[in-house]
Amino acid sequence: MLDVFKALMLGLLFGWSLQKAGLTHYARIVNVYRFRDMTVIRFMLTALVVGAVGIQLGIELGFATNAPIPPTSMLSNVVGGVIFGVGMASAGYCPGTIVAEAGEGRLDAWLGGLSGLIVGALAFGLLQPMIMPSLARVGALGRVTLATLTGASPWLVLLVFGQVIVLMLILIGRMGNDTTNPPPAGD
Amino acid sequence: MCDDLPVRPWFPLLSVLAITALAQPLSAQCASNASSCVTCHETQGLRPVLDSAQIWHVDHGFGDLCASCHGGDPASPTKEEAHLGLRQPLADAANSCTGCHTDDSSKYAERYLRAAVSMAPPPHVTPPTTVPPKVTASPTANRVLISLAALLSVALFFAVRHARATESRPLLSCLRDKIWSPYSAGVLLGLVVAFAEVICGRPLALSGAFDKLAAYLGRWLFPSSQYYGHIMTAGVTWQVWLMVGVLAGSFASSKLSGEARFRWLPDTQWEPRFGASRTLRLVVAFFGAVLVQMGAGIAGGCTSGLAISGGAVLAPAAFLFMLGMFAGGIPVAWFWYRERAA
Repeated sequence: MLDVFKALMLGLLFGWSLQKAGLTHYARIVNVYRFRDMTVIRFMLTALVVGAVGIQLGIELGFATNAPIPPTSMLSNVVGGVIFGVGMASAGYCPGTIVAEAGEGRLDAWLGGLSGLIVGALAFGLLQPMIMPSLARVGALGRVTLATLTGASPWLVLLVFGQVIVLMLILIGRMGNDTTNPPPAGD
Repeated sequence: MCDDLPVRPWFPLLSVLAITALAQPLSAQCASNASSCVTCHETQGLRPVLDSAQIWHVDHGFGDLCASCHGGDPASPTKEEAHLGLRQPLADAANSCTGCHTDDSSKYAERYLRAAVSMAPPPHVTPPTTVPPKVTASPTANRVLISLAALLSVALFFAVRHARATESRPLLSCLRDKIWSPYSAGVLLGLVVAFAEVICGRPLALSGAFDKLAAYLGRWLFPSSQYYGHIMTAGVTWQVWLMVGVLAGSFASSKLSGEARFRWLPDTQWEPRFGASRTLRLVVAFFGAVLVQMGAGIAGGCTSGLAISGGAVLAPAAFLFMLGMFAGGIPVAWFWYRERAA
């Protein structure tokens, strides 16, 4: 029960941040791939660096022994990403923003997006036994992180990672070419 | 615009306080995931089963299938309970595979037994205390990173030298803003990700919710499917509740800023390019969503579950996924918006 409550609260803040960042706009998402609006990148990179520090801090302070680490298998990560990118650049969707778009009343997300996600999940379910066993084996490194991979101190990896991202954020900020800014929202 | 939030000195402090205040140390972190086996045995590079040369592990690495062969109870919070009824699969290879491979189990059993014999020492003789690959501290990597950090510090110093000061205003009025600076919203999302990972032991993943919901349909449509029978079981899981939360959060945010209203088409850019047809938008939305969900399935997560949550634990998988996203998205976006021959 407490678990469900936590999930709802985290989801609430997640949906809030997606909507407030303006990720519920088709143009915002698609224009990332045309290098005309870097809002999504700014949003994601900021979340990445804050999340990374928060997680490492949480582990360091003893609130968790570890955080779940997604398995790296190079081919399926990249191939999945390519297919994902094709869909995202066409419809201006990712699973999270479809739900957020539905939340602000967009009927294309309710009717097209949500049903597409369910059908996509079914299609993957049918393909999974055929493709995943061989696909996931190529370049499979297991549940590794950059720290375990290099053998360096996690804090040091985090420091460099954070610096790279902040530098990227500053450089992208200098570009200042958000053509969908001010946002398309608001009539 | 709340532009100033991330640079306010109290913000990082608040995040730390929030994490510490609301957290309780998890003694049973291991049981917080669907398969606790993986959470305990395969994290932080310790005993990476997928890495091992044992082909039966590699073959089954595509799902959380440990219990299918090894037995035990992955849902139990304590090690003792979770390990009750553990089996040594290769000791009884003939029966171990029948749980899933009902028709042709002997084929696999023979193959694995052959492989096991050729390995020295055979794992069914020596219990599988696979030596944890030692995460040795690497002084070279540390030194390289320290030099890199020093270089980047200089670059950052010059980059932020011209940082401008912004005016601050009451925090609560931000709630009604139509849009936040992506940095402020990003800080919020980052905290949510850290919370989900540290306190709930889960990635902030949404695509999985649709896999779980589609599984209701899947097991009804394809009753003999191994995938829906053993790997993707239907259920209203944590992620489904997360999704409900996202729906509510987006509604609350858009309602407060007066943005919530029914509409069929994206606000900008769609109509000038594709016209005002609702059908066309629905078709593109549908097939786009299909591709997005399939891509997430293959890659092992979506933008939030893999790219952000995985990136925040510094997993290479996340960065490979983002690479793929751009490799797929850039040509397609170009294609849709290419200059049409006049």
